[in-house]
Amino acid sequence: MDLLLIKEGFPLLSFLIFLPLAGAVVLLFFHGEGFARLWALLITSLTAVCSIPLLTGFDPTSAKYQFAEAYSWIPRFHINYIVGMDGISILLVLLTTFIMPFCVLASWKYIQKRVTPFMFCLLIMETSMVGVFVALDFVLFYIFWEFMLIPMYLLIAIWGGPRKVYASIKFFLYTLAGSVLLLVAIIALYLKSGSFFIPEMMWQPYSLTFQVLVFLAFFLAFAIKVPMFPFHTWLPAAHVEAPTAGSVILASVLLKMGTYGLLRFCLPITPDATMLLAQPILWLSIAGIIYGGFTALAQQDMKKLIAYSSVGHMGFVTLGIFVLNTRGVEGAILQMINHGVTTGALFLCVGMIYERTHSRELAMATGVGKYMPWFVTFLAFFSLSSFGFPGTNSFIGEFLVLAGAFEHNTILALAAIPGAVLAAAYMLRMLQKIVWGGTNNPDQSYLTDLGVREIVVLAPFLLFVFWIGLGPQPFVDLIHGSVSHLLEQFNNWQQHQQVAVALWR
Amino acid sequence: MTSSFIHPSLFLIAGALLLPFIRGPLRKPYLFLAPMLALGAVVLNAAHSGVFGVVNFLDWQLVLGRVDKLSTVFALIMGLMAVIGTLYGLHIDRAGEHMAAWFYAAGSLGAIYSGDYLSLFLFWEMMAFGSVFLIWFRRGPQSLRVGYRYLLIHTIGGIILLAGILLRYQAVGNITFDLMDVAHPELYTWLIMIGFGLNAAMVPLHSWLPEAYSEASFNGAVFLCAFTTKTAVYTLARACAGMDVLVVLGVIMALYGVIYAVMENDVRKLLAWSIVSQVGYMVAGIGIGTDMAINGAVAHAVVHILYKSLLFMGTGSVLYMTGKTKFTELGGLYAKMPATFFFTMIGCLSISAAPCFAAYASKSMIITAGFEQHLNWASWLLMFGATGTFMYNGLKLPYFLFFGKNNCSPETWTKAGDPSWNMLIAMTLGATLCILVGTAPGFLYAMLPYAVDYTPHTTYHLMETLQLLGFAALAFVLLKKYVEPVDRICLDLDWLYRKAGCGFLWLIKHPLQWCDTAWGEAYRVVGLSSLMTLSRFWSWFDWHAIDGVVDGIARSVRGLGDKVRVLQSGQIQITLYYAFSLTAVLLVAFIFFQLL
Repeated sequence: MDLLLIKEGFPLLSFLIFLPLAGAVVLLFFHGEGFARLWALLITSLTAVCSIPLLTGFDPTSAKYQFAEAYSWIPRFHINYIVGMDGISILLVLLTTFIMPFCVLASWKYIQKRVTPFMFCLLIMETSMVGVFVALDFVLFYIFWEFMLIPMYLLIAIWGGPRKVYASIKFFLYTLAGSVLLLVAIIALYLKSGSFFIPEMMWQPYSLTFQVLVFLAFFLAFAIKVPMFPFHTWLPAAHVEAPTAGSVILASVLLKMGTYGLLRFCLPITPDATMLLAQPILWLSIAGIIYGGFTALAQQDMKKLIAYSSVGHMGFVTLGIFVLNTRGVEGAILQMINHGVTTGALFLCVGMIYERTHSRELAMATGVGKYMPWFVTFLAFFSLSSFGFPGTNSFIGEFLVLAGAFEHNTILALAAIPGAVLAAAYMLRMLQKIVWGGTNNPDQSYLTDLGVREIVVLAPFLLFVFWIGLGPQPFVDLIHGSVSHLLEQFNNWQQHQQVAVALWR
Repeated sequence: MTSSFIHPSLFLIAGALLLPFIRGPLRKPYLFLAPMLALGAVVLNAAHSGVFGVVNFLDWQLVLGRVDKLSTVFALIMGLMAVIGTLYGLHIDRAGEHMAAWFYAAGSLGAIYSGDYLSLFLFWEMMAFGSVFLIWFRRGPQSLRVGYRYLLIHTIGGIILLAGILLRYQAVGNITFDLMDVAHPELYTWLIMIGFGLNAAMVPLHSWLPEAYSEASFNGAVFLCAFTTKTAVYTLARACAGMDVLVVLGVIMALYGVIYAVMENDVRKLLAWSIVSQVGYMVAGIGIGTDMAINGAVAHAVVHILYKSLLFMGTGSVLYMTGKTKFTELGGLYAKMPATFFFTMIGCLSISAAPCFAAYASKSMIITAGFEQHLNWASWLLMFGATGTFMYNGLKLPYFLFFGKNNCSPETWTKAGDPSWNMLIAMTLGATLCILVGTAPGFLYAMLPYAVDYTPHTTYHLMETLQLLGFAALAFVLLKKYVEPVDRICLDLDWLYRKAGCGFLWLIKHPLQWCDTAWGEAYRVVGLSSLMTLSRFWSWFDWHAIDGVVDGIARSVRGLGDKVRVLQSGQIQITLYYAFSLTAVLLVAFIFFQLL
C-alpha cells in the first residue's frame, strides 16, 4: 500500500470513471435525440475538463500511483476497488477523456438512427476505457477490460457498414478468446500471491515456467488487442465497418489498452519471461511494421488503409516497449499518444469524406482538393504526421523508438527503416489521390468544404500534432519518472538474478 | 552594436519590407523618407571612424560597420544616389520596383561598410538579386532573358569570389576584409580580384553590363549604373590597391568601352559602354596604387556616379516618354524636350571632363598619378580614351539624340515631351552637384581617403583640356558620316559564352535528359510495379492465408456445431440414447484405464 499516494478529499479518478456511466443511466430515462446528443457532449466535455486537475496535480518525480483510491470490495476473495495513476497511464487517461467529446461531435450528423442508444454506448465505453487505464486490482482491470467489448460490438453491429455483422462478431470473439486466457493467468497469479492487487504481484520470484506461461497468456490477450502481426486481422474488418466515432475510439484508445497491458503487466510481473521472449517479439514487431506497410500500400479503401497503417504504427510501439531501455519505452508511450491523436484525426477526416460521398473507395474521393481546401489542409498535416514527418508528433515518437532500438540492436533498427519508408509511400499515395488525383477524376463539384463543427473537431488534433512535434519536453517529463522507475526496477531484478545465479553455482 | 553607428541598410531593408503596406497618399512621402533616413544615417556615421557592429557568428567575427574615409565617401554617394534614384522613380506604382531598388542599395551600402569577407559576400549577393529585378521589371520582350543572363553571370562572379574568400581563409586564417598582399598574389588573390572585377565589368568579363543596363527599366538603370560597378571599385580599392595587372586591365577597359560606344546605336547601351570605359579609369587608378591614384579613382567614382546617373536619367526620360532608345528611331528632340536636353548636356559635358564640370576634377588626377609613377604608356592611352569619351558621349550622343536627322515616327514625336516634376527635380539635383563638384571640388577632396595636394584648376590643365576637346570636336565634324549610328548588333566577347551556354543546354536536353528519362522509366516499370505487386501479394496473403486460418477456425467451429446440432432433436428418446451411450463409453474407458 505504500506504493499508493492516496488522494484525500474528492475521489477524482472514481468520479472520472463513473461520471459517464451516470450520464448513460440518465439516457435510459430521457430518449430525445437532440437531448441525447447534447447530454453526451456535456458529459464527455465535463469529464475532459475534470481530468485537467489530474495533470495539474500530478507529481512527475514520484514513482507512486497517484490520485489513488482503495476501497474494500469483495474481502472474501481479496478483491478490492483500487485505482491509481502513474506516469505511464496519465497521458492515456487524458487522451481518452479528451477524445470522447470529439467523437460525440463527429457523430452529430453521421448517426441518424437510434441516436440515444449510440450515445449510451459511447458513454459506457468511456467508463470502461478510463477504468482500464487506472485499475490496480486485477479483477477490476479485467472487468473494465471486458466491459468495453459489448458496447463496441453494438457500435459496429448496429451502426456499422455493409459487413457489420461479420466484423463485429469477429472483433468480439477474437478479443474475447485472448482475454479468456488472461483470466486464467490472473487467477494463477492470485493463487500465487494471495491478492489481486497488481503492484504486489510485480517483481516476485516466480519460477521461469510459471512466468513463461503467464507471459504467454498475457501476451496473447494483449497482442490481439494491439494488434500485433499475425493476430491483427480483426482490425481491418472492424475499422472498415465501424461508424466514425467507433473507428476513432477503436484506433485511439482501444489499441492502446493492449500496449498498456504489455508495458504495465508483462514486464514487471514476468520479467524473466520478458527477457527470454523479447527477441522473437521484437522481430514480430518488425514484421508488423513492414507487413502493415505493404498491405496498406495495396488498399483501395481509405479506412482499411488507415487500419493497416495502425498495425504498422503499433509495431513501432511494441518495438519500443520490448527493447527495454528508456528511450524505447518513452518513445513507445509517446507514440501511443501520437498514434491516438493522428489516427483518430485521420479517421475523422475519412468520416467527413464518407458523409459527403457515401463511399470509402479512394477512387470516389479522388481530386477533392479543389473543392475542399480546408479539409485537404487538415488531411495533409495528419498524413505527414502519420508517417513521422519531422515537426509533427510521430517523428518524436518514432525517433525515440528507433534510438532505443539502435541502442539495443543495430540490425533490428535497420530492419524497421523500410517500414517507415513504406509508411511514407502509402500515406503520400493516398494524399496525392485524394487531394489532386489524376486526369480523370470524378466530378467532385457537389462537395462542400468543412463546416464550423468539423473544423472545431479537427483543430485540437492539429494543435497536438504540432505541440508534441515541436515541444515534446513537457510530455516526456510526465512519463519519464515512471519509466525510469520501471526500468530501474528491471535492472535491479536483472542484477538480482545474476547474483542468484552466481550464488547457486 | 554601439549606439553611435547606425547601419543605413537597415532603413532601406525595413523600408522595402514595409512598403507594400503603405498605400495611397502616404506612399510618395514614404518613398522619399526611407532613403533620406539611410542617407542621414550615413552622414551621422561619417562623424565616427573605427570598427562598429561586430557580430559573432559561429566561429567568426563579422564586422558590419567599418567606418573610415574610404568607406564613408562611397557610402555618402551611394546614399545620395538612393535618394535621387527613388525621387526619379517616385511616380511608379508598383511596390516591387522600389523594393528591388532598395534591397540593391542596401546591399551596396552593406558591402561598403562591411569589414569582413563573409558579410561582404552576403551583401554582394543581395546586390545581385536585388538588381536583377530592375532588369526584369522593364517587361520588354528580351527582359526576361537578359535578366537571367545577368543573374547567371553575377552568380558565377559570386562563386568565384566565394572560392577566393574560402581559399584565403584557409591560407591566412581570418576573414578580415583588408588590403591583400598584392605584391605576391596567390590563387586566392586572383580569384577575389576576378570576383570583384566581374562586378566592375573588367574586360573580358564585361559583356553583361551593356546588355543588362540597356535592357533595364527607365528608372532601374539609374540605380544600376551607380551601385554595382562602384561598389566593386570600392572593394578593389580596399583589397587590391596597387595590383599592377589592374593598370593594364583598366586601360584595356577604357579603350574597349570607347570603341564599342562609338559604334553603338542604342542610347543607353552607349552609356553602358561608357561605364565600362570610365570604370577602366578607376581600375587603372587603383592599379597604380599611389595615394593620388587612389584618390583619383575614388573621386572619379563619386563624380562618375553623379554624371552617369544624370545621363541615365536624361535618356531614361526619353525612354519613358517616347518608348524608344535607338538613335535610328530618335533625333531632333531638343525642340520637344528642352529641359531633358539641358540636363543631359550637363551630364555629357561632365563626363567629357569639360572645365568646371564634374570629371574635370577627377580624371586628370588619375592621369597625373600615372605620369608621376612613370607609367607613361598608361596615361597617354587614358588621355586618348578621354578624347574618345568626349567624342561619343559629349558630341555623338547629344547631337544624334537631340539634333541631327529627325528619325522619329509621328507617334514618337507626339509622345515626346519633358517628363514629370519628380524626374525633373532629380535631374536638377544631379546637374547641380555635377557643376558644383567640377567648379569647387574642395569638399569632395576633403572626403578622399588620402591627403590631396592636387588642384585641377591650373592653366596647364585648362589648356590641355581645351585642346583635347577642340581637336575631338574637329574630328567629329570631319568624320560625322562614319560616326552616324546604324541599327546593327555589335558582336562582343559574350558571343563566346552565349554559344557555350547553348552547347551546355544541348548537352542537358539530349544526353543527360535521356539518362534521366531512362532511369525514371526503370523506376516506374521495375521498381514501382514490383513494390505494388508485393503489396498486393501481402494483402492477398492477409485475407486468404491469415484470415483463412482465423475465419476457417470460426467456420469449422460453426460447421462442427452444425453437425452436433443434429443430436438435438425434440425427442427425448434420442437424447436419452445419446446420453446413456456417452456415459457408457466414458465408464468403460474409465474402468479400462483403472485396470491398466
